[in-house]
Amino acid sequence: MQTSKKLPKEKILLVGFPSNGLVGTFTISYLVHYLEMKAIGEIEHPDLPPTLFVEDGEILPPIRIYKKNNLYVVMSDLPFDPFVAYDFAESILDYCKKNQIKKIIIISGMETVNRDPKSPKIFGLVTHQSLEKLLYDYGIPKFLAGSIFGTDAAMITAFRKSKIPALILYAECHPFFPDPEASIIAITTLARVLEIKVDTTDIQKKIEWLRIQHRNLMEETIRSLQQQQQEKKPGKAPQIYR
Amino acid sequence: MIENKDEFRILSPSINSLLNDDIDQQTLSPLSCLREFESNWLLEFDLPLVNKKDIKITFDENLVSVEAKLKESYSEEKLGIQTKFEYFKKTLSLPGKINSKKASAKFTKGRLTITIPKQVTGHKIKIE
Repeated sequence: MQTSKKLPKEKILLVGFPSNGLVGTFTISYLVHYLEMKAIGEIEHPDLPPTLFVEDGEILPPIRIYKKNNLYVVMSDLPFDPFVAYDFAESILDYCKKNQIKKIIIISGMETVNRDPKSPKIFGLVTHQSLEKLLYDYGIPKFLAGSIFGTDAAMITAFRKSKIPALILYAECHPFFPDPEASIIAITTLARVLEIKVDTTDIQKKIEWLRIQHRNLMEETIRSLQQQQQEKKPGKAPQIYR
Repeated sequence: MIENKDEFRILSPSINSLLNDDIDQQTLSPLSCLREFESNWLLEFDLPLVNKKDIKITFDENLVSVEAKLKESYSEEKLGIQTKFEYFKKTLSLPGKINSKKASAKFTKGRLTITIPKQVTGHKIKIE
């Protein structure tokens, strides 16, 4: 393993949940696996469909918390409806306050009009002035214009009103298909920001398999995103998805 | 593909892929999306593990069918059942009349894009 032993000095929380291209899910899952992070807890919500996973005989909840030194992760394997998204965001904020987390980084995907599939880009958005410098230092172009809805928006809304700053990394991706390739740029950017080394060979080898394996999660995520978009813009017809 | 315990993976919340996919025919249902533009339809299929030469696209009125053979078989174990798949297959019905003779297709990085012009019908009216 080529990981630097130097994990961040300050407490940082990474958050990933199913969204466009499943970029956040792929990125955070890979880091948890690669850094061999330890599961330390879970988040429950009464409105989530009762779901558990069984892996090698172990029962796993859908929203899990991982930790290694000062690095924390909250990862969901379930997409959220609009109401759960707000509660999820508030729970994360509450967790950050209780654990003296200094900043959070959310990984997500976005579709851009002039996307070049051969060289996907990543954009950053910050909730507090204090993180602007971070974008400049790591050469991350700023997300300048566009609309955000769903869980991303709920998270940003919760954190911009708090004292804990959030950085949102948006990797360009295909919005309707699982896009592990886009998550590679998110992983490498995240590794730079955290100043750790992460070898992406393992995920690169599995790109095609991951796309097949996560067809269902992608479909369920699209349904949730369309539901969230409709909540935001009543009357607007959803994009056709079959 | 049989998953290794130590491999990177994500838990999938759904158990219904076996319902969408055809186990007897060893056929997977690919993800697809349809976008409407002024003069055409853009239909995309996600076809990982497929070579361009192994894709077949057919039209029947406003039905579009895509079949593709996987370059490696794909195995999935759900609810204790080990299932092997060899093909992708899906048929979609477009909501309007199409000009299939002028359709074109591109396959890049495992994504098939089919552009299908709309059939222009109707007549002009004069503005009084």
